[in-house]
Amino acid sequence: MTLILQALASGVVTGCVYSLIALSLVIVYKSTDVINFAGGEIVMVGGYIGMFALLFLGIPYVLIFVFSALATFALGAAFDRVVLHKVLGRAVPGQSILVAMVIATVGLSYVLKGSARLVPYTEEVRRLPPLFTGEPIFLGSVILQPQDIAIVVIAVAVMLALWCFFAFTLTGKALRATSQNPRAAALVGIPVRTMRMTVWGIASALAAIAGILLAPKLLMTPDMGVIVILAFAAAIIGGFTSLPGCIVGGIVLGVIQNLVGLYVASNAISVAPFIVIMLILALRPQGLLGGRVVAKKV
Amino acid sequence: MFGSPSLARLAPLLLLPAIGLLLPGYLPQYYLYLGNVIMMYAVLAIGLDLLLGWAGQFAFAHIAFFGIGVYGTALLQIKLKLPFILAMPGAALLAGLIGLLIAIPATRLRAVYLALATFAFAEGAQWVFNAWESMTNGADGLRIPAPSLFGHVMGNDPAAFPLVATLLALVLAATMYLTTSKLGRALCAVRESEHAAAASGVDVRGTKVIAFAISAVYAGIAGGMFTLYESFANPEVFGFAQIVLVLSMIVVGGLGSVPGVLIGTVLLGVLPTVMRTTMRDLLVWQELVYGVILILAMMFMPRGIWGFIRRKRRAVRT
Repeated sequence: MTLILQALASGVVTGCVYSLIALSLVIVYKSTDVINFAGGEIVMVGGYIGMFALLFLGIPYVLIFVFSALATFALGAAFDRVVLHKVLGRAVPGQSILVAMVIATVGLSYVLKGSARLVPYTEEVRRLPPLFTGEPIFLGSVILQPQDIAIVVIAVAVMLALWCFFAFTLTGKALRATSQNPRAAALVGIPVRTMRMTVWGIASALAAIAGILLAPKLLMTPDMGVIVILAFAAAIIGGFTSLPGCIVGGIVLGVIQNLVGLYVASNAISVAPFIVIMLILALRPQGLLGGRVVAKKV
Repeated sequence: MFGSPSLARLAPLLLLPAIGLLLPGYLPQYYLYLGNVIMMYAVLAIGLDLLLGWAGQFAFAHIAFFGIGVYGTALLQIKLKLPFILAMPGAALLAGLIGLLIAIPATRLRAVYLALATFAFAEGAQWVFNAWESMTNGADGLRIPAPSLFGHVMGNDPAAFPLVATLLALVLAATMYLTTSKLGRALCAVRESEHAAAASGVDVRGTKVIAFAISAVYAGIAGGMFTLYESFANPEVFGFAQIVLVLSMIVVGGLGSVPGVLIGTVLLGVLPTVMRTTMRDLLVWQELVYGVILILAMMFMPRGIWGFIRRKRRAVRT
């Protein structure tokens, strides 16, 4: 019983981070129709920017979240403005624009990975120190590190902030309008192009925060972007277009991984997300929380 | 354009086996190796293009079928002692069959969901290649026996070159027949508009499933070609980087056109070699350069190099 509870607890902790990355993928998909295959690399870059800020700029640990989020916001927005805008403008009738957009994000992922390798400090595997150190905390028989609590608190805070942003601010409402119907949004005077850039920026900042949260738990290498597959799985569990779905999906996936590790085999953990993706898509493509799948109208 | 391809269009393909027989006498081994690799990738890329460029289905599973082709061809020879001439078609059919099984649920999905489901399948298959150690020898890699055909033992580049070239010629001929057939037109119709295709009496799902299966057979054949000149198969060869490579060959060359795909295959097949020789000390730059090429190609040549050439030619004519 203790083992199960412990597995559930650590599943929730890692699941929170998956949820953040999944949110970053889904808000991009919802508002720009792009599957962002560079999402994992933005997580990686965000983590490294945080590490460099801590090491060389002497920025206090709490502020590296802000620093890294701002830097990746600029990166994401610039990618949309410079690359995707151009790709979209060159769309050929009769050819799916999806392919060109996805290849462009794959290109970005290679550029980011390649750039990270050029930085001398990435040759060795590194790890950020935990945000909080101290005695582990006992919840009944479950042991949690202070870092785990910090992850959950920060992730939940970021999600709440995101929700407030989309629900209450004018920009957030404009973003939602843009994702529902870009043409109508443009008609009522929403600057659709700026909104796309903003979404890419926000998504990248989310990924960067996830990167810094992961960096003390995972080993940092330029290849750590493969984590994105877990976020894809989380997003699919949630239906790929639902933001609450992402959060549920991330946590469900974190728990599934831990249970698979406990009951099946530890080398099956890495294949669990793929099986989840295929099962969900085969049986319930709209995800656990998604509505009925309808063909998207213009 | 439509109807069977004329003999005049098929005849140049005979040059391929002829070149394949001649060249090994003149070229150093390294160029023959490069030639083999490029011809293998050409089959892989044309197969993916049938699905992506012709039928408009965005699927990532191709590399898994390639893996099934490689391991299938090798294991049918090792475990069942089949000769190569049976093992390779057997593996290609197996790939096609698995493709068919995957296609039946997958073709219910659209765009992003199809891409992710097939991506997951490819990653899952790579995991199987890694984990099924009794068959594939896991991460240590599988030693592929040198295949022999009518007493001609291959397994090295000069010996394999003629057969690889012949297989490419056969695949190109089959592609010409396929793309000009009724099925080829159905594929285009499904790509342009599923509703319009269905209204014109095209069985949309059936066409997609068949496209999926045929594309898997192509990948299986490419897998068989791989075993002709390589002596070692390692699960790493069947990862995400490979599918991106094949995808970029198609997109950089030109979606939905055989000449375009061939141009893309040659360019991106030669690129790593060129970079290795011209940027000797700069190996770490490879990924960066590669990513920049992909992004620039998408920004400035949405129809690939072949589309670019065609537009220029049309502009000159008018």
